[in-house]
Amino acid sequence: MSTPETVVELRDVDTVFTSGRGRARRVLHAMRGVDLRVAAGETLGLVGESGSGKSTTGAVALGLRRPTSGTVTFLGEPMRRARRRPGAIQAVLQNPHWSLNPRLQVGATVAEPLAARDGSSLRAHRETARRMLERVGLPSGVDTRHPHELSGGQRQRVAIARALITEPRFIVFDEAVSALDVSVQAQILNLIRDLQELHGFGSLFISHDLAAVRYVAHRVAVMLRGEIVETAPTSVFHDVPRHPYSRRLLEAT
Amino acid sequence: MNHLLRVDGATVDYTTRHGLTRALDGADLTVAPGERVGLVGESGSGKSTLGLLVGRLLPSNVATGGTVAVDGRDVLSLDPRELRDLRRRVLGFIPQDPVGALDPTLRVGRQMRLALRGSAGEDRNPVDLLERVRIDRPDRVLRLYPHEISGGMAQRIVIATVMAAAPRLLVADEPTAALDAQSREEVTGLVMDLAGNEGTGVLWLSHDLRAVGRWCDRTAVMYGGRVVEDGATRTVLDDPRHPYTRALSQSDPAHAVPGRRLPAIAGGPPTLAAGAEGCAFAPRCPRAVADCEGHRPLPRDVDGRTVLCLRPESQATAPSDVKAAS
Repeated sequence: MSTPETVVELRDVDTVFTSGRGRARRVLHAMRGVDLRVAAGETLGLVGESGSGKSTTGAVALGLRRPTSGTVTFLGEPMRRARRRPGAIQAVLQNPHWSLNPRLQVGATVAEPLAARDGSSLRAHRETARRMLERVGLPSGVDTRHPHELSGGQRQRVAIARALITEPRFIVFDEAVSALDVSVQAQILNLIRDLQELHGFGSLFISHDLAAVRYVAHRVAVMLRGEIVETAPTSVFHDVPRHPYSRRLLEAT
Repeated sequence: MNHLLRVDGATVDYTTRHGLTRALDGADLTVAPGERVGLVGESGSGKSTLGLLVGRLLPSNVATGGTVAVDGRDVLSLDPRELRDLRRRVLGFIPQDPVGALDPTLRVGRQMRLALRGSAGEDRNPVDLLERVRIDRPDRVLRLYPHEISGGMAQRIVIATVMAAAPRLLVADEPTAALDAQSREEVTGLVMDLAGNEGTGVLWLSHDLRAVGRWCDRTAVMYGGRVVEDGATRTVLDDPRHPYTRALSQSDPAHAVPGRRLPAIAGGPPTLAAGAEGCAFAPRCPRAVADCEGHRPLPRDVDGRTVLCLRPESQATAPSDVKAAS
């Protein structure tokens, strides 16, 4: 194959939220005519200020929200068919504290997606979970701990292990390093790069942190009030940003 | 020099189920009137403990040592009445979680008035105070309950209340960590502006090196319960001498060199059971020699800043590519 396979593609996607009735009715365009493409083994960085529609775009790309109009495809098929491939799409969110079950041992948390996919017991996947925890750089024995016994960086590694265990083709990282210490951020960003090289998943890396995006992403898309105003290879984007808003974002850092 | 805050050899030991945990291991720090000092370090380095110690806000199961003087008063030996007076008239505290700092059962206006009672800001009109932190339609916001407002709004309300009393010293513990990027900028700018107007000294606890670099006059770096490097912000952050400061600054993605791997610091910060015998950073330090483990480093002057290190870096050892990329 000369060009890498397209994993997720959004074409001319609009998402509109409405609230209230009558005179109090409000309409919010969270996404306007959004076009995005993520190839296998590629990371697309998505930047923009809060309220620009980044997280809505993430939810649409994950198949969690149906857009108002436009098409979303996963491996060339309509997104709704992705249901037939459980575990092929995963997400890692900002705060692992919110996404890990406080009552489950870490090993069980990581095994859960496999058990859900195969309809088997958590115990059947204990060994696979243990290997995955090792691969994300956690010490052996961590699988019998609970989330509250781990540091923030370790918990984010657990969240990444849980996302990777089903060998997904596509992962959305939504502000995945924003809540972490600088030194831990570097460890997690390196881990994401290494694992992508190993597993070849495509990813959408949503962040307000341009420095983190520059380090981890191959291409950058800039969102402003629901529209993608610029998409460029990371190095081009940083050296010669075209859109005035991109320039403002870069100056702010 | 006349110090607004002077911390000398502060130690704090928490009693836990597993024995003692030493959170501060002889920390030294000063803040001059009107000065903005950033205290940086990883979680677990002792920043928050030091911030709480300044207002003697630590829980009762701790043993403290050393001295903490605020405005010339020895905080650790004040009687309850003097302590209350100090907290009301001299100190201001902005916590990390603004929503947790508000009482969920009280409307914003009522709890602001309650919090201000007996302080220097008692007579101020809450509407004006909210306008100072750029809240639109303050009369409407005063009638809301904490669950009806966003995190950024809650933090502005806390800031408005704290700054109403025009404290001499403001301790801000990661006040923007729970906010999104844009609110972070706005809230930080707001606090620094208000502090500047009132001549308030600021102790800004943060792990965000870039924000500290932008806003603080001086930067103190904490590791293992001690301040390991302390000096003018540009001196410390742009050209560090302590190997830990250098490692921390290099691991910031903003300093990444295209095509090169980001140098992360392996391992995590230590949990001390008692005072460290040597340098607490030695097990993770690329420059450590045998002596570092057994000799407790003493403060020394290196190129215009104070450093706690037996083998501080010199300018010659600075990898030039790192500086070129920043």
